[in-house]
Amino acid sequence: MKQILKYITFVVVCAFSISALAEKTKVPDFKLPAINGEVTPAQFKGKVVYVDFWASWCKPCKKSFPWLNQLQQKYKDQGLVILAINLDKEKHLADRFLEKVPANFIVAFDPAGDTATSFKLKGMPSSYLIDRAGYVVGKHTGFREKDIASLEQGVAKLLQQ
Amino acid sequence: MQLKSMKNTSQTKNITVREKLALATCALLQTAGQSAQAADGWEVDSALMIYSESDSRVTAIEPIMSARKEVEEDTFLSMKLVLDSLTGATPNGAHTSGTAQTFTKPSGNGGYTVAAGENPLDDTFHDTRVAFSADWERPVLDNNSRMILGGNISNEFDYMSLGVSATFMRDFNERNTTLTTALGVNADTISPVGDVPTPFANMKTPGADLSLSRDGDSDNKTITDFMIGVTQVINRKTLMQFNLSLSSASGYMNDPYKVLTVVDNSGTRIGQVGDDLPYVYENRPDSRSRQVFYWKTVHHLTEDVINVSYRYHTDDWDVNSHTVDLNYRYELNGGSYLQPHLRYYTQSAAEFFAHNILDTQVATTQYASSDYRLGELNTTTIGLKFVMPMKGNSEFSIRAESIVQSYSKVNSSIGTLTGDAGSQDIVPDLDAFIIQVGYSFYW
Amino acid sequence: MKQVLLLLLTAWLLAACSTVQPWEKDLLARPSMALVADKLDSALDEHIYFSKEASMGGQGVGGGGCGCN
Repeated sequence: MKQILKYITFVVVCAFSISALAEKTKVPDFKLPAINGEVTPAQFKGKVVYVDFWASWCKPCKKSFPWLNQLQQKYKDQGLVILAINLDKEKHLADRFLEKVPANFIVAFDPAGDTATSFKLKGMPSSYLIDRAGYVVGKHTGFREKDIASLEQGVAKLLQQ
Repeated sequence: MQLKSMKNTSQTKNITVREKLALATCALLQTAGQSAQAADGWEVDSALMIYSESDSRVTAIEPIMSARKEVEEDTFLSMKLVLDSLTGATPNGAHTSGTAQTFTKPSGNGGYTVAAGENPLDDTFHDTRVAFSADWERPVLDNNSRMILGGNISNEFDYMSLGVSATFMRDFNERNTTLTTALGVNADTISPVGDVPTPFANMKTPGADLSLSRDGDSDNKTITDFMIGVTQVINRKTLMQFNLSLSSASGYMNDPYKVLTVVDNSGTRIGQVGDDLPYVYENRPDSRSRQVFYWKTVHHLTEDVINVSYRYHTDDWDVNSHTVDLNYRYELNGGSYLQPHLRYYTQSAAEFFAHNILDTQVATTQYASSDYRLGELNTTTIGLKFVMPMKGNSEFSIRAESIVQSYSKVNSSIGTLTGDAGSQDIVPDLDAFIIQVGYSFYW
Repeated sequence: MKQVLLLLLTAWLLAACSTVQPWEKDLLARPSMALVADKLDSALDEHIYFSKEASMGGQGVGGGGCGCN
């Protein structure tokens, strides 16, 4: 029973609701080439940013794209920006992926993986939620259907703050 | 700014290699991508294998099909069905002789004669095997652990095997290390044609009374396997696996169709006495405990992949073996690849292995078998496989392998021969080949 | 038991030197890098050698017995 409780707690904490447990840290700085120009965290001051790290070879990443499109569409007016950072070593692999799986959000490229290092990624895909003041307030590893509801809830809550 | 443009130049220089790599990987990528799309369907692999031994020994035709489906998120069901149709002849265990030999069929009805200098083969041998297995894989505890529950059933007209297994896998160290533990139990029943021969009972003349040389119509054995393994990511291009397996079998482990030639102390086959032909049925220990160490490495070169493994096997029957296996995946354009395969196997003989038994030793010997598979032998396999992606995300493959098995030519007898039985061609080497075509698709 | 400990020790040593990050698993994610790249070939071969040699196993447990003459 204790095990089950522990498990439930684990799931709840991990499925990134903006928990009080998540320490508030300033978003690591970066400057990355994107499809249209460059992106830096400073550009998104005053917005809620959902940073998603992905790669063409990662199966759950592919699964997450349609949902990310929906999320961007739904919360655009409330100030949500989705920034998907691609970590493919070779950009053409990412381009090929994007031809097949459309992304209606900002896609930036970091073949060297420097941002992945500074965000201390624990798995693929990984997502980070950044509040309007530029603080990382939530993170989530992986993409599973069962996580979708709480992920969206986290985004919606933060947008209302 | 300068730094950036330099970086671009170096990227341009590498373009040929990169382009080649792109060509090679785009098909793979496509496969990976579309398999995600086809998550609701079955991933099906099918193949037809023909295995054929030279000198009119065994020929096997083996259709096989496996299917895997993600039934719910991260939960997989896999099934496999094999049909195995065997015809041909198999060594009956008696040794080659300078004179013609007459044997009785396992059923006790009728016999067959083997010419002088020929390896005695039982050509009444034919069999059809049906084997089905299913695996259920699902996450347990948290996102870092999974469990696989499996079951298998295999049936032949004289053999039935039922098994269950449980495997637990856990990822550590940011998924760079996987620990695997597995437990399996198999229960087998053998119902030989002509019933279970009494150990060391003589082969009888056709039509003779078998009641005193048989121990019932069936027997069984149980096998318990335990495995612990570690899979480790060594670097971006290298994966390594170490497994340690312990296996314990108990019950009936004889081959009910195998006999040993009974010889006198000069190595000459003794004569027939009444209904008794000069051949006795073998007997093996009723328990066997084995340990296996297995190591495997998969390494990604610039485009190609090399896969090498080594296995060390040891048991309380004194069978020690070494196996080395090597596959090299040579990437061609457009997602096709060519894969040469090499395998070398060498084993020492089981402690009770002998080509023949002295008549004076029959009454006092506990275990003896002349089954060539328990003798000192080595096997060399050379193969080549070609795989080509097809329309609609399917894949076609063809494979050919050549197997040569050679045996120790030194005569071994239970008891001491005074004469020289010589190093006659006791068991001639075996040549076999495999031709296999395969087709994989989504359904 | 000794062997198990040795195995775990080896694993621990290897784990200590590994530094592959989650985003560097592009090559390892390829089907060609699977430990058993072709499961059918592997199943067919295992059956052949099981019926021709006195050793078996190493890669997993069970797998179904046969009369295999």
